Amino acid sequence: MEQFLYYLKVSFTSIKRAPLPYALTILILSLGIGVFFANATLYYQLNSDPLPHKSDKLFFPMTRMMPHQCHDCPPPRILSYVNVQKLSATEIPTAKAAMYSTDGYLRLDSTKAPTPVSVRLTQPDFFRMFDVPMLHGSVWQDAKARQELILAKQMAEKIFGRSNVVGEKVLLDDRYYTVIGVLDDWRMLPRLYDANNHNYVEDTEQVFMPLETGYDYNYLSNTQSHTMDDTDFRQLATQGRTGALHQLQFWVQLDSPQQQQSYRQFMANLVAAEQKAGRHPSMPNNQLIPMRDIIQYFGGGSADIKAFALVTLLFLGVCLLNASHLSLNRYLSNQYEFSLRRALGASRLQLQQQILADVLLMTLCCALCGMGIAWGGIELLNYLWPANRLFGRWDPTLVAALFVLTLSASYLVTLYPSLRASFGGLNQQLKE
Amino acid sequence: MSLQLLFKALLRRKVVTLLLLLQLALTLALLANSLLLASQTRAKLNEPTGLDLPHILQVQLKPTTNDLRAQPLLTDLLERQLAAVRTLTGVKAVAYANQGPILQGGNQGNLFDPNDPDRTNVPAIPAYHVSPDFFAALGLKLLEGQLPQTPVAVDGRVRSPLVLTRSLAEKLFPNRSAVGLMTNHASVAAVVEDFFGHKMATDQWYNRIQVAPLLGVDWGYALLINTDTGATERIRQQLPDVLREVDANIEIFYVRSLQEQHQRLYRDEFGLATLLAILTGLMLLVAMVSSYSNAHFNALQQQQDIGIKRALGASKNLIFIELLCENWLTTALGVLLGLLCAFALNQQLATVISMPPLQLWLPLCTTIVLICCVTLATWYPARIATQVAPATATKTM
Repeated sequence: MEQFLYYLKVSFTSIKRAPLPYALTILILSLGIGVFFANATLYYQLNSDPLPHKSDKLFFPMTRMMPHQCHDCPPPRILSYVNVQKLSATEIPTAKAAMYSTDGYLRLDSTKAPTPVSVRLTQPDFFRMFDVPMLHGSVWQDAKARQELILAKQMAEKIFGRSNVVGEKVLLDDRYYTVIGVLDDWRMLPRLYDANNHNYVEDTEQVFMPLETGYDYNYLSNTQSHTMDDTDFRQLATQGRTGALHQLQFWVQLDSPQQQQSYRQFMANLVAAEQKAGRHPSMPNNQLIPMRDIIQYFGGGSADIKAFALVTLLFLGVCLLNASHLSLNRYLSNQYEFSLRRALGASRLQLQQQILADVLLMTLCCALCGMGIAWGGIELLNYLWPANRLFGRWDPTLVAALFVLTLSASYLVTLYPSLRASFGGLNQQLKE
Repeated sequence: MSLQLLFKALLRRKVVTLLLLLQLALTLALLANSLLLASQTRAKLNEPTGLDLPHILQVQLKPTTNDLRAQPLLTDLLERQLAAVRTLTGVKAVAYANQGPILQGGNQGNLFDPNDPDRTNVPAIPAYHVSPDFFAALGLKLLEGQLPQTPVAVDGRVRSPLVLTRSLAEKLFPNRSAVGLMTNHASVAAVVEDFFGHKMATDQWYNRIQVAPLLGVDWGYALLINTDTGATERIRQQLPDVLREVDANIEIFYVRSLQEQHQRLYRDEFGLATLLAILTGLMLLVAMVSSYSNAHFNALQQQQDIGIKRALGASKNLIFIELLCENWLTTALGVLLGLLCAFALNQQLATVISMPPLQLWLPLCTTIVLICCVTLATWYPARIATQVAPATATKTM
């Protein structure tokens, strides 16, 4: 330890002797790491897996069951009510849930100001499939329509001033509902259960309503709906349940490869039967997309972030080259000192230890400055690309990655100069 | 000054020169592609829209109760809101619409000539349901036919007639007048000048408009207000209060000029171009630091040589030019490598984002910028190096 402190002291002395080159090296390296890390944060978070233990067991089934003929179009990304009924008419999946989202205005009663809320209309299995934690109460017993809502904890606190509001009445738009459950703190990012049209960057909803109730009360999707026949979208409760009005996401949980194979066979049989009945003229095109691949399947990855990632990687490369250049100049200036120490008996290993102390010091400085620059970079990215604002956050893995990256970069820029200083011809170096 | 000697000087510091060359090459590549992307974004922001963007305001709003979102209260609410906005000084025209222009996407449908459905079917056309003043609010020029003056329901027995933009009318009914002809939805009443509808539509100039009552506003609706020059900002400030006074049960999402709407439409592209511009600035700074450090270190290392040259009669200017030439040569080599990197980076970026191929003039222009920056960074250390007194420099020999 004493020896290490001595090495640190020597490093400080060396820095004090020529502070400008050292400061420039730190600045350049921090810039490269900070800029790269700011974008890498967004890239990492946007591509992270919110349910790593089961994302390969949750599937979005899609079929080309639609009223008109189409040879080359992909299956619709949103499903009709009637198709969902057909796709869920089996006991193969461990769990299954259809869903969509809408907007509403929530308040305690009509005398209070309305709070705009995003509502997810879904079925009970949703909470089990996506590991949604309950704080108070429970979810609906079955998928039937009922005047019951589940609130997010923050929404319950906002409306009632407390979280345990099970059994209370609340006004959504013009109707009163009973609160039967309150969620614990929960946020699924990216929101993969609704990935179409870049919706995965949105926050999770604050209010949950039974899907059937949403259809009964004519709540339309606030993201995408598509009518493929003459269904009147204002008649969701009647025509919406029988016509080709597409607006639903549908997820099934298939835990084993056998289940997955069985469900694929079920889809194939279903589509064949539908075709035989003359309802769907298009050639079959069934897809069973795992949740972890859903963004890629929808082609929804952020191209701008990918492009910027490529460029920031180049920038980091340039900064590494520059810092190596500055570092080499700095070590060449100190060459005589290194050579003198070697001449006085210091081994190459001891010199390498000295350089390692330099690297650790540089890592610390660069990590701190780099984090500051990365924080500024994330703020700038959030300002310029506000759609990704929820993803500019660090977790312990990312911070650890930053330190490893900084340590590697610091060692890399010091590697060649240190080797040259330690292994050069002693006589020549002393003569110079 | 011999080129051979300059090369020799560079080869004496192989590693340092190589590091500098790579930096300069990558800087040039990024600089050229950033400029390309910035010019592309600028072109998009300046593209014609067929609309007087700064003087047209759009209010996006939604009633907060179910009753107000459906007929018959909705039409009553809309009439009251339009009447209130018309009373504001400086308002030329105001109209409601199920959606505004200059959007990413929205309410769309297909359209075709029933006599030739296979050839003429155009999918994804923005479908507007509007009040009669919509055309005045957007300042659209009537090209042929007559604009409908009375709202007619789009789902009634007699369908509300269509108004098409010029490009769409020409696509559906080439080489003939569209007025009076039938489409799969309704007959065509008029053709107006093109305007920018949806970015994600089949064509940004394709639009179909029906003067009709709004069926429902679960997704909200837009009020479009054409204003006198100089009155826009004042009206914009007044609008929220005026509309809330008409009926407090509304949520106003935003009040924007179409100019702002247009800028928001290209926000992602603008964001990327801005980020690349900032990064380019940083890269130039890094390149300048590198050139400065290189020149400074070389000058220190060559102090003795410079002293000898000065003692043998070399002028300060000659030494100065020699040091600059060394850096210019490094930059020139870096530029050559950089040209290859620039084209390679352009190809890589084009696989991820929409980007045109790099024209040769762009790397040439960026070369000039790079040379200027390198010269600026080398100037000071080169000038200092020339101040070395021959006696001092040769003292240790």
